[in-house]
Amino acid sequence: MKVVGITTQQEFFIGSKERNFRINEFLVVKDTYQGDLLGEVVEAKTYNRYIPLNIYGDFVDNSVLESLKALGYDIDEDTIYVAKVRLLNEALYPVQTGSDIRLPKFSEIKKLMINTNPEDGLVLGVIRNTDNVASEMDNEFKNLLHTFEEGHLIPQKELPYIFDIRSMHQYPHIGVFGGSGSGKSFGLRVVLEELMLQGIPTIVLDPHYEMDFSNIALENSPDFNNRFKCLQIGIHVGVKFEDLSAGDLKNLLDAAGRLTDSMNNVVDVLFKRRDSYYSFSNRLQMLLDAQEEGNIGRIEARIENAESDEERKAWQERKELYESFDKSCPYSSVRGISWRLRRLGNDGVFSKDIREIEDGLQNGKLIVIQGNTRILQVFSTYLLNNLYHKRREYKDAIYKKTNADYFPPFIVVTDEAHNFAPKGYESPSKSVLKEISQEGRKYGVFLILATQRPTLLDETITAQLNTKLIFRTVRASDIMTIKEETDITIEESKRLPYLRTGDVFISSASMGRTAYARIRAAYSSSPHVENPFDELKSKTKEEDDKFYGLIMNKLPINDIELVHVITDIEKEIHLTFTVELIEEKLKNMVRKGYITKKETIFGYRYEKTNDIVES
Amino acid sequence: MFDLNKGLKEKVTNISSALENKYKDIFILDKPQLRNFIEDNVGHISKMDKLGKETLIKYQEQGGIVGVDGSNNKVGGAFPHYIEIYQALAKSTWIKDEQLFKTDIYTPLLPDTSENLLEDQENKSEDNKDKRLATLEVEVAIESIDRFKPFAIMMDGGLIRYNICAYDKWMELKTRCEEEGIILFGVIKDIKTSIIGDIIMEKNKEISMQIYDREILFGILNYGEMILIQENANKKESEGYASIFLRSSLQPTVVGMDIIDSQRKHLIEMANLVFTLTPENSRGVPLWLDIVDQEVKLTDQMTRNLLETHMDRGIYERLFISERAKR
Repeated sequence: MKVVGITTQQEFFIGSKERNFRINEFLVVKDTYQGDLLGEVVEAKTYNRYIPLNIYGDFVDNSVLESLKALGYDIDEDTIYVAKVRLLNEALYPVQTGSDIRLPKFSEIKKLMINTNPEDGLVLGVIRNTDNVASEMDNEFKNLLHTFEEGHLIPQKELPYIFDIRSMHQYPHIGVFGGSGSGKSFGLRVVLEELMLQGIPTIVLDPHYEMDFSNIALENSPDFNNRFKCLQIGIHVGVKFEDLSAGDLKNLLDAAGRLTDSMNNVVDVLFKRRDSYYSFSNRLQMLLDAQEEGNIGRIEARIENAESDEERKAWQERKELYESFDKSCPYSSVRGISWRLRRLGNDGVFSKDIREIEDGLQNGKLIVIQGNTRILQVFSTYLLNNLYHKRREYKDAIYKKTNADYFPPFIVVTDEAHNFAPKGYESPSKSVLKEISQEGRKYGVFLILATQRPTLLDETITAQLNTKLIFRTVRASDIMTIKEETDITIEESKRLPYLRTGDVFISSASMGRTAYARIRAAYSSSPHVENPFDELKSKTKEEDDKFYGLIMNKLPINDIELVHVITDIEKEIHLTFTVELIEEKLKNMVRKGYITKKETIFGYRYEKTNDIVES
Repeated sequence: MFDLNKGLKEKVTNISSALENKYKDIFILDKPQLRNFIEDNVGHISKMDKLGKETLIKYQEQGGIVGVDGSNNKVGGAFPHYIEIYQALAKSTWIKDEQLFKTDIYTPLLPDTSENLLEDQENKSEDNKDKRLATLEVEVAIESIDRFKPFAIMMDGGLIRYNICAYDKWMELKTRCEEEGIILFGVIKDIKTSIIGDIIMEKNKEISMQIYDREILFGILNYGEMILIQENANKKESEGYASIFLRSSLQPTVVGMDIIDSQRKHLIEMANLVFTLTPENSRGVPLWLDIVDQEVKLTDQMTRNLLETHMDRGIYERLFISERAKR
């Protein structure tokens, strides 16, 4: 292995006749003048001057090569291996051409690869193509994980990639980018598992209902059951209406449907601090009722004609509301607010509070908040504002030397982040995410944002992501964005569309370089891993078996007796079939071989299939 | 410009018809007729066989095949301001880590002391060039016997050339091969003989011009056929060589093969080897010779780089850069 050709202070080519080079492999140049220099292979090529078997335009056929091989000459031996190497630190002078190359020792590259230990960091996977040095590494780095390759679990053979979570204090926020099927969600799962193992309070916004860690996929895995909690909006958690400020409420309503200036005004005018959902919606409704009457005269007529004291009193109230607010709150805007409020109410947003979330975070748990994207947007806006400011108050209080309840630092994780912080237009959740991205570092609040469309993610936020996990990306526009927003090289960006599922470039500001890694096999599995077609098959089988169980004892069934069968079934399991339906089902059973259908003089008869052995 | 082109076009057309006229007697001979004539007067046309793996492995076990080729390149302008470098290579199919290279360099500005300065150097230099190259090639071939102990040595080109250009060394090589039982043969990419033409002239007094074998044999042999030239027909016989013509690829052209006379019994075997090592869709040259040729080849760029790097720049500029090179 030698340095060949023209060299620069940063890059040069090396060649070898014996050893093939691997991309992202580390090598040491023994420069006679400058000493040992550490470099990384950024491009690897092989070349054989006789292949593509074209010498002076002749095409060589295989039989001739075979004959030459028999004579002792193997054309493959004339293959040479060439690699482009980039120095990790720029040299003072161009690298000496002709310098020898050797493989590095673990101690020489350790600080480039690993800057924390497995106990304090997130063990995300392995650094690719480092198996040469892995045997020399300290025991604490060995046997930490498995990787999943070609359908098999493989014990760790390479250096582990350990993300130094402490470095987030200087280099906050993580981005996870990658197209669908690239291993992005899976990578996120591994990150979350590690966060749980570290006991770091985390909030996960999960629009896909997939971040459940109760299915353990690997043997000897840690148990996550006490470390995470799935909470559904409207069922387990919600917004406590009484705690809302007018601003919070406007954000929430805006998430349900964009607010106009006039609607904003309606909230400002009508909402009173400590209002309950009932009191506020009631006020809106009464004003609407009054406005529907049209003028004060008709309202007064209502008061006069009221049939009871209660009704009179109610109309009296409507009149007061009408007098004070009709001018400032146009009917259409009040209506708009009313239906937005009801929409949120129907979603259950106001039925619960966030106490359980706060408790979970206080206990260092991972809290998964599930709901559809729209509700999540609404809720997260409220939730993050709330939690972020709790944490902020606590930190500010320490600074100001006043008292405040302890609230722990925490991490916010979301998939489909472009829905929460879209580029180009305002959304309520965006402003809080933006705030956290810009100043969360000071308060110990960090973001992990995953998206398959980095191009659609707000740029201010993207710029704050100091660590990026970049999985396979095929879309040209996203590759462009990634090229602009990260420090990955042109060579690496060209590899992006070809990365294998689970392979990832980790561009880390704290390491100052991009590592080519493979995410480890997750301890837990997603609830969505079952193939939908398998599911369909097994579900159908289940249904068929169930039905067969129902009719098994009633066989043989003549088609004239179907009505009796239906009555029996109805008695047994309180399920009513129509004659058409049961005929359909029986035919289906025949088609699948459960039973056979025979023609008799009395019509059809369904019988047990004796000669079919059930598997 | 336009006129000149027109003139040239006419001239090319004229030449084409003149050639057509000259060769009309040959061209009208049809294939079966010619093949019969060859069978009767030149030699038997027979089929070659591709060698099986076992045979080839046997060759390898007996030392493999050594291919020998040479190359030369010239930098500079007209006589005597040029410099020539020569390189010959013997490469074994079997022992791979070693390649036998031999080099030589020559410029008329520094004539060999042995040469007579009064002679017409300019014309002589062309002969010298052949001599130097042939000598180098024979030398590496001799050395390869010691180093590789090969089963056979395959020279690039006809053997008669060495007889003419490097007689002494050649005799040494020939003798050693005969003594040590190493088969020595040459593959001729461009046959320049007129064996068949001469016989045609002899038999047919009407034809008085010289016709070359390559002209006659174009398309006459089928793929995989060879003509074993009868001893009495071959002029080279007197020099001690046996020859054949063979069509080893799908191209209609024919290549030749020489072997030293004492090894005549191996002629067919070696023809089969050449046939085996020649890709179907090639120019008819065994791949091994092409590989050797690739490695020995001195390209213009290489030669220039060599001189620019290792020769004093002043001397190089003053003596060897022609006006043409500066264009």
